[in-house]
Amino acid sequence: MIHLAKEDVKHILGKFVVTAIGVGMLLGIVLIMMGVYRGMIADAEVLLKDLSVDLWVVQDDTLGPFAEASRVHEDLKYIIKAIPAIEKSEAITFQNLQLPLPDRKLSVLAIGYDVYGEINPINRDRLIEGRVLKTDHYEIVVTDKTGYQIDDKIKLGRNFYTVVGITHGSVASGGDPLVYVSLKDAQELQFTYTNKRIQTDRARGIINKDSHLVNAIIATIKDGYNVDEVAQEIRKWQHKSVYTREEQKVVLTRNVVEKASKQIGLFTVILIVVATIIIALIIYTMTLEKMKEISIMKLIGLPNSTIIKMIVEETLLLGVLAFIFGNIFAHLIYGKFPKNVLLNTPDAFLLLAIVIIASILASLIGVKKVVNADPTAAIGG
Amino acid sequence: MSQQAIKVENLNKSFGEGDAFVDVIHDASFVIDKGELVALVAPSGTGKTVLLMMLGCVSEPNSGKMYLGDEKVYDDGWLTKETRKIRREKIGFIFQAHYLIPFLNIIDNLTLLPQANGVADKVSKAKAKELLKYFDIADKEKAMSSQLSGGQNQRVAIARALMNNPEIILADEPTAALDTERSIDVVKMLKKLAVEQNVAIIMVTHDERMLEYCDRVMKIQDKAVVFI
Repeated sequence: MIHLAKEDVKHILGKFVVTAIGVGMLLGIVLIMMGVYRGMIADAEVLLKDLSVDLWVVQDDTLGPFAEASRVHEDLKYIIKAIPAIEKSEAITFQNLQLPLPDRKLSVLAIGYDVYGEINPINRDRLIEGRVLKTDHYEIVVTDKTGYQIDDKIKLGRNFYTVVGITHGSVASGGDPLVYVSLKDAQELQFTYTNKRIQTDRARGIINKDSHLVNAIIATIKDGYNVDEVAQEIRKWQHKSVYTREEQKVVLTRNVVEKASKQIGLFTVILIVVATIIIALIIYTMTLEKMKEISIMKLIGLPNSTIIKMIVEETLLLGVLAFIFGNIFAHLIYGKFPKNVLLNTPDAFLLLAIVIIASILASLIGVKKVVNADPTAAIGG
Repeated sequence: MSQQAIKVENLNKSFGEGDAFVDVIHDASFVIDKGELVALVAPSGTGKTVLLMMLGCVSEPNSGKMYLGDEKVYDDGWLTKETRKIRREKIGFIFQAHYLIPFLNIIDNLTLLPQANGVADKVSKAKAKELLKYFDIADKEKAMSSQLSGGQNQRVAIARALMNNPEIILADEPTAALDTERSIDVVKMLKKLAVEQNVAIIMVTHDERMLEYCDRVMKIQDKAVVFI
C-alpha cells in the first residue's frame, strides 16, 4: 500500500526538516526548562545528601538555615550528643560570601564545620583535587566552578585562606557553589566584626562576647531508634525546632524552590501550548496547500480515512522529528547555562508523550479541513 | 451481460425554494452503452457540471433512477451510503488539467485507487504498467508528474481513470488545456479507449471541432437532456 504521508514528506523534505528544526528548538527550550527545574531540585538536595544526617536542630520556631536565619549555641551539640539515641552530633554554619575573583566577586555558600568533629560535610566522592580541611584556621576547600587552584590564597574578612581542596558539583539550593571552612573561621567571619565596628560597639556599651554561635546542629541516630520520636523528644526538652532529613528536604523543595519551580512549570506549559499551536498552524498550512489534491482524492473515491491518516501521520512525524531535534538542541546547549540543568530521560519521554498527544490534537484542524473538503472543487465548468 | 454502462430515468435536479428555486435538470432519461464516446455540450451555467456530478455520484439528484452497468444505484435516493465506494469502483474521472498527485510518482498515482479498493499491490502495479505501455509512456513509471510534458501527464491521467475498470469515464473538458492538434489526438485516443477498454465515456467539451470524433452528442436544452 502506498504510504501517502511518507511520499508527501519526501516531496517536501527540505521544508519539512527545516520546520521540524524550528519546532524542535522550541521543544529543546521546553526540555531545558524541565532540566532547570530538575537541576534546582538536585542542587537543593546536594548538601542534604552529602551531609547524610538524620536530624537538623535549629533555632526555635524557624525553618532552619536554608529558609531563614537560625542561631543556636555551639555547645548544644554536647547536649544533643548526650541523648542516648544520638550517635553523632556536630555544629555547622552556613553563610553567603562574596568570593573575590580576578575580575568580579562570586556569590558562594560557605559551610563551617568542626575539622576535628564527628561529621564531615565534604563528600569525598566530590573531592577531585587536594584534601579536606586539616587545621582550624585559614584553610578552604572550594569547588572547581570558582576557578581557584590548590595553594591559591583567598582574602576573606581579615585573613587569607589557602585552597587545600577542590570539589566538583558542590552547590547550594540556590545554585551557588559551596566552599568549606573550619567552624572557628566561619564563626569569625560570621560573628566577628571589624576593629572599627568593635570600637564603635564598645563606645555604645555593646560588648559582643558570644561568637560561639552556629546555624544548626546536625546529628545522626543509632540503629534501632525512631527518628521522629527522637526529634519529638528534642523539641520537647530543648525548645528547638527539629527537622528530620525528609522534613528538611520538604523545607528545601517546598519553601525554597517551590515558587521558582512553579514559575518554570508555567513557562513549560506555555511553551508546550505554543509548540502545539505552531504545529497545528503548520499542518493546517500544509493541508491548505494540498486542498486541490485532497478534493481530487475525494472525488475519485479515496476514503476520508486514507487522507486523514496521511494528515495525522505527517503531524506525528513532524512532532517526533521536532522532538529529536529538540533533544539534540537541548544537549548541545545545556552546559552553557550558568545554573545546573539536569536533562532526565524520563522527562524526555514525558515530553515525547505530550508531543504525541499535542500533535494528534494539532492534526484535528487539518483533519477538519479534509472532512469538509468539497470534491466538486476538482471539477471546473 | 448487457452493454449498458449508464442508464438514467426521469432524473431531476433543482436548487433552492420559493423565489430562489432553480430547476437545472428536468426529467432526464437516457442510456449510454459501453464503447460509446458521448460529448456533452452546453453553454456555461446550464447544468453541465451538475449533470456530471450526478452521473459521478458526487451530488444527489432530487428524484429519478440511475443505473451503473446493471446495478441500480439511485432510486429517489442513493441505494448505498457509500457513494464514494461507487465512484472508486465503477467510475473514472478525467479533469481539465491532469491533476495528478504531485508527491506521488506516476505508477503510485495509478495504483493509489485500486489499492484503496483492496487490490493487491502486485496486481495493481501489473495493470498500471500495462496501461503505461498502452499509452507509450512505460519508461516514465518512476518519474514525478513535474518531470513529464503536458501531453504525457494527460495520458497518465487517462490511464488513472482506467485503473479501476470503470463502467463509465466522466471527462471534464480534457482538451481545454491543449492545442487543436493535441486535442484531436486525445479525443481520438478516448474513442479508441472506449472501444478497446469497453467503457462508456462522457466528455464535456466546448470545442465543436471535437464533436465529429464522438459517437453521440448530448446537449442540455431548456433543462432537458437531448441527443443531437
